[in-house]
Amino acid sequence: MRKKIAALLIMSLSLMSLAGCGAEDSAVPAPESTAQTKTADGSGNAEKTIKFGVIAPLTGTHAEYGQGFDAATQIAVEDINAAGGVNGYKLELECQDSAADAKTSSDIFTRYAEDDEIMAVIGDFTSSCCKANAPLTEEYGLVQISPTASDPSYASMSEYCFSVMYNQSTAAPWTAESVVGHFLGKSECAVMYLNTDWGITTNDYFLSGLDSAGIKLLGDESYTENETDFSSVISKLKATGADTLVILDQGNVPTIINQVKGSGWDCQIVSLGPGASDQILDLCGDNAEGLVIPCPSYITADNPDTSDFYKKFYDKNQCAPTDHSLCAYNAVQALTEAIKSIDGEVTRESIKDALKDVSYDGLAGHTQFNDDGGVSRDLLIIQVENGGYVVKEKYGYR
Amino acid sequence: MDGYLISQIVNGLCLGLIYALIALGVAVIIGIVGFATFTQGEIVMIGAYSSYYVFLWSGNNLIYGMIASFMITWIIGMILYKVCYAKFFDSPEYISLICTIGFSMLLKNLAQIIFGAEKKPMLNIIENKIYHLGIIELSRVQLMVFITVIVMVIILSLLFTRTSWGLKLKAVSQNREAAALVGINVDKTAMIGNCIGCAIAGAAGTLIGIYYQSAYATMGATLSMKAFTSATLGGLTSVPLAALGGILIGVTENIGIAFSSASFRDIFSFGFLIIMLIFKPTGFGRKRGARA
Amino acid sequence: MMYKMDANVKKAIMLVTVIMMCMLPHILSKSIMTIVCSIMGYLIIAGALNVINGYSGQMCFGIAGFYCVGAYTMAILMNTFHVSFWIGIIPSGLFAAIIGALIAIPTLKMKGMFMAMITIGFSEVMRLIALNWTSVTGGTMGIKGLKAPMFFGLKTSGASRYYYIYLATVLLFLFSTDRVIHSRIGRAWMAIREDDMAAKSLGISLNLYKIINFMYGAFWAGIAGALLAPYKTYIDSAYFTLDEGFNILSMVIIGGQGTLAGPFIGVTVYQFLVEGLRFAGVWRYIACAILIIAMMWLRPQGLAGNSESVLAGKKNRSRSFIKLPEVFSLDRTFGTRRLGKANIG
Repeated sequence: MRKKIAALLIMSLSLMSLAGCGAEDSAVPAPESTAQTKTADGSGNAEKTIKFGVIAPLTGTHAEYGQGFDAATQIAVEDINAAGGVNGYKLELECQDSAADAKTSSDIFTRYAEDDEIMAVIGDFTSSCCKANAPLTEEYGLVQISPTASDPSYASMSEYCFSVMYNQSTAAPWTAESVVGHFLGKSECAVMYLNTDWGITTNDYFLSGLDSAGIKLLGDESYTENETDFSSVISKLKATGADTLVILDQGNVPTIINQVKGSGWDCQIVSLGPGASDQILDLCGDNAEGLVIPCPSYITADNPDTSDFYKKFYDKNQCAPTDHSLCAYNAVQALTEAIKSIDGEVTRESIKDALKDVSYDGLAGHTQFNDDGGVSRDLLIIQVENGGYVVKEKYGYR
Repeated sequence: MDGYLISQIVNGLCLGLIYALIALGVAVIIGIVGFATFTQGEIVMIGAYSSYYVFLWSGNNLIYGMIASFMITWIIGMILYKVCYAKFFDSPEYISLICTIGFSMLLKNLAQIIFGAEKKPMLNIIENKIYHLGIIELSRVQLMVFITVIVMVIILSLLFTRTSWGLKLKAVSQNREAAALVGINVDKTAMIGNCIGCAIAGAAGTLIGIYYQSAYATMGATLSMKAFTSATLGGLTSVPLAALGGILIGVTENIGIAFSSASFRDIFSFGFLIIMLIFKPTGFGRKRGARA
Repeated sequence: MMYKMDANVKKAIMLVTVIMMCMLPHILSKSIMTIVCSIMGYLIIAGALNVINGYSGQMCFGIAGFYCVGAYTMAILMNTFHVSFWIGIIPSGLFAAIIGALIAIPTLKMKGMFMAMITIGFSEVMRLIALNWTSVTGGTMGIKGLKAPMFFGLKTSGASRYYYIYLATVLLFLFSTDRVIHSRIGRAWMAIREDDMAAKSLGISLNLYKIINFMYGAFWAGIAGALLAPYKTYIDSAYFTLDEGFNILSMVIIGGQGTLAGPFIGVTVYQFLVEGLRFAGVWRYIACAILIIAMMWLRPQGLAGNSESVLAGKKNRSRSFIKLPEVFSLDRTFGTRRLGKANIG
C-alpha cells in the first residue's frame, strides 16, 4: 500500500515537473524574441521570422534520408535567407527526430502544433508516419508538407496534407506503359515490391498500368522492410523466365541490384522510387550498368541544375544527396512560394490556402499541387551507361 | 525435385550459413560467460565497418580486413564484458540482458553518428566468380562463408574438448566457485571467452559485409535476432548445434518462401522455432536446464 | 517509508493524489498531455508485463504480441462490426487472454531463455500476421478512421479528454491487481517465483497458477492495446515491433520487478528520459542507453525493487537462463537457495 501511494505521489510529482518543463518551454520564446528585436535594431527595419518545423527520421533504419532532410531544408533556408528572405520575413527551422516511428512522429507533430511560432510542418519521411499525422493536421489546422510521401491516399486524407513527391497514381502506370512498354519494348516483366503501404499502392497502380498496356506479368513478389537477403525472391522471379525486373522500392534497391547480378541473372532492371543518385552508382559499381530509372530530376555532381545543391549538401553531410533530399529542398521552396503570394498576414490558414495555388519551377522540376494536395509530375527516363547517368528521354515522353 | 526447389534450398543453405556464422559467437558467449547477449548484431556491424575502413586503406586486402575486425571486436568484447557482465554474476540474468540491450543501442547510434547514416559500399573485395556443381550455383563468397563455418565449428569444438585451456573455459561456464577453487582466474577466463565470441562475430561481420556488399549501422539488427533463434534451437550452448540450427532456419525460411511470399519470412523462422521448442523444450541440446 | 501510516491518512493521501490526477488536463498543456497519455498507456502494459515477469518469475519478452492482439481486436470490432468501444474493450482483453493461455500451456515446462525466445517469436508472428493478413487487418495500410468513444454524449477525442479513460483504466488495473496479489493466487505466484520446488511441495499447482498468471497479464496487455486503437485513431503493425517489447521490458526492469510501484516509476522515468533528452537530437539514444546501463549498475533490483527477493539477485546464481545441473545440485547441497521474503507490493 505504501509503495502504491509512493508511486502515485512520484507520478503526480513528475507530472508536475513536466508541467514545469512545459512552462519553461513556453518561456523559451521570450529571450528569442528579444534576440530578434536586437537583430531588427541592427539591420534597421522590423524584420520578422517565420518558423517551420521539420520531422525527420534522424536515427534508425531511415536515418540516412532523415539526415538528408535536415541538411537539405537547412540549405534551402540558408539560400532563401541569403537572397533576402520572403516578403521581408526570414525563415527559421526546427528539426526533430521521429525515428520513422508513427507514434513519435505524431507526438512531435502535436508539439509543433501547440507551438504558435511554427507556421508549417515539413515531414515525415515515410508515408505511414505522414498518414498517422493526417488527422492531427485537420485538428490543429497546421499544414504538413511531406517531401517524400508518394502514397496517393496520403495527400487526400486532409486538406492540410501536401506532398511534393510525384504521385504514384500517375507515375506508376506511366512507368509500366511508357518505360517498360515503349522505351524498353518489353512484352513481359517481373515485379518485386516493398511490403509497406507505399509499396502496395505503387504495385497496384503499376499492375493496372501493365494491364492496360497489355504487358504480361510473370511474377509479383513482396518482401518486408527489414529484409537483407533477397536471394529467395530473386530465384523465384528468375524461375519465371522473365528478362525484365521492376523494383518498386527506395533504400533496398542497391542491395537488390547487387544480389540480382550476384546470382548470375542477366536481366534489364527498372526501378521506380529511389531516384537517380550517386549513391546507387557508389553502392552497385558495375552492377548498375543498364539500370533504368524514371525520376523527376537527377542529382549528380555534374548536372548543372543541381550541382550547386550537390556541393552544399556534400559540405554539410559528407555524402552524396539522394532524390529525397532534393524533394525536401523543394518542399521549403513550395512554402516560400506560397508565402510570397500571401498579401496580408502570414498565418497557418493562409499558408494552406496559398499552397493550393502554388506553381513554380523548383530544383526537383515543376511543382503544382492538384486538388488533393499531391503533385503529378512529368518524369525523365534515365539510364546508367559507363558508370554515369544519361538522360534517355526528356519530360513528356509517352 | 525440380531445379527451382533445389535452387531455393541452396539459397536457404547460404542464408542459413550466414545465420550460423553469427550464431557461433552467440553460443560461445552463452556457453562460457553464461549470459545471453543482444549485442551480437552490433558487434557484427562494428566488424564490417572496421574491415571497410581497412579495405579502403589497404586496397581490399582480405587478410588485413579480417585481422582488423577480429582485433577491434576483441577490444569491444573486453569493454562489453566489463560493462554488461563482470558486475552481474550474482544477479538475475535479465539485468545483464538489459545492459546488453542498452549497449547495443549505444553502439548502433554511435556508429550512425561516427560513420554516417548512409550505406558504405564494399564492392569487389573478392572477385565474384560462380562455381557450378551440377545444377547448384555457388559464388565464391558463399563458398568462403561455408568453409569458414565448417572450420570455425571444428576449431571451437576441438578447443573446448581437447585443450586444457578450453577445458578451463568450460569449467568456468559450469561452476564459477568450483573453478575458482581449483585455481582458475575466473574473471579473466570468462572475459576471454566473451572476447572469442565477439571476435568471431567481428570476423563474421567482414564476411557478411562482403556478402551483401555494403556496411551500415543497422545491418546487424535483424540478423542478430535470427542468430539468437539459431542458438536457441541448438540448445544455446552448443557450437555445432547452433550452426545446425542456423542452417535449418535458413532452409525452412526459403522453402516456405518458395511456396508463399517473402513477406512471411519471419513467420516461418519463428514458427519453426516455436514448434521445435514445443517438442524439444531445450532445443537440440541434451536435456539441460529443462528442470526447474 | 518504513513508519506505520494511519489508515485514514493513507486514504486521504490516495484521495488527494487521485483528485490531483483528475485535475491534470486543466493544468498542463495539450502537448504535455499527449506525453502523459502515452505514459498512462505504458503504465497498463508495463504493469501487465510485471505481473508475468515480476510476480511469477516467468520470462515473457513478447508482451508486444498481446498488445497487438488487443489493439487489432478492438480496431476490427469497431471498424468491421461497428461495436461500441465500451462493449468492445472486454472481448479485446479476453481474446488476448485466450491467446495468452495458448502460449502459456506449451511453455509450462520451459525456463529462462527458451521461454524468452518463444515469447519473442510469438510476438513477431502476431505482428507479421497483422502485417500480412490484409483482408482482416488492412495489412500495411493499417486500420484507419477509428473514432474515439462517446461518454454520455461527451466526445473523448484528443489527449486531454482521452486521458480520463486512461486514468480510469489505470486505477482499475491497480485496484484489481492489488486485490489479486493479496489473494491466494498472488501469493501462489510469488511462491513459484521464489522457489518453485518448494511451492510445488506445498501443494501449489504450478501449471494452473502459471496459466492464470499469463492470462491475467495478457488480459491487461490486451486492454492496453484496445485503449491505444481509438486514441491513435489509426493503427498499423509498426506499433508492435520487438523493439517496443524491449522498451516495455526495460521500463519494468528499471522501475523494479515484482512491485506494483516499480513499473509506474520505470515508465515515468523512461518516458522522461526519452522526451527530456529530445533536445540532444541524435545523441538522445546514446544518453538514454548510458542511463539504462548506469541504472542497472546502481540499482539492479530497480528503483522500487525489494532487495530481499530473488529478483534482487544476491547469491541466487541457480536462477539462471542456462541452468546447469552441476550448479543446481551444488546449490541444493549447500542449501544456498532460501525462500526469500515474499515481496508484497
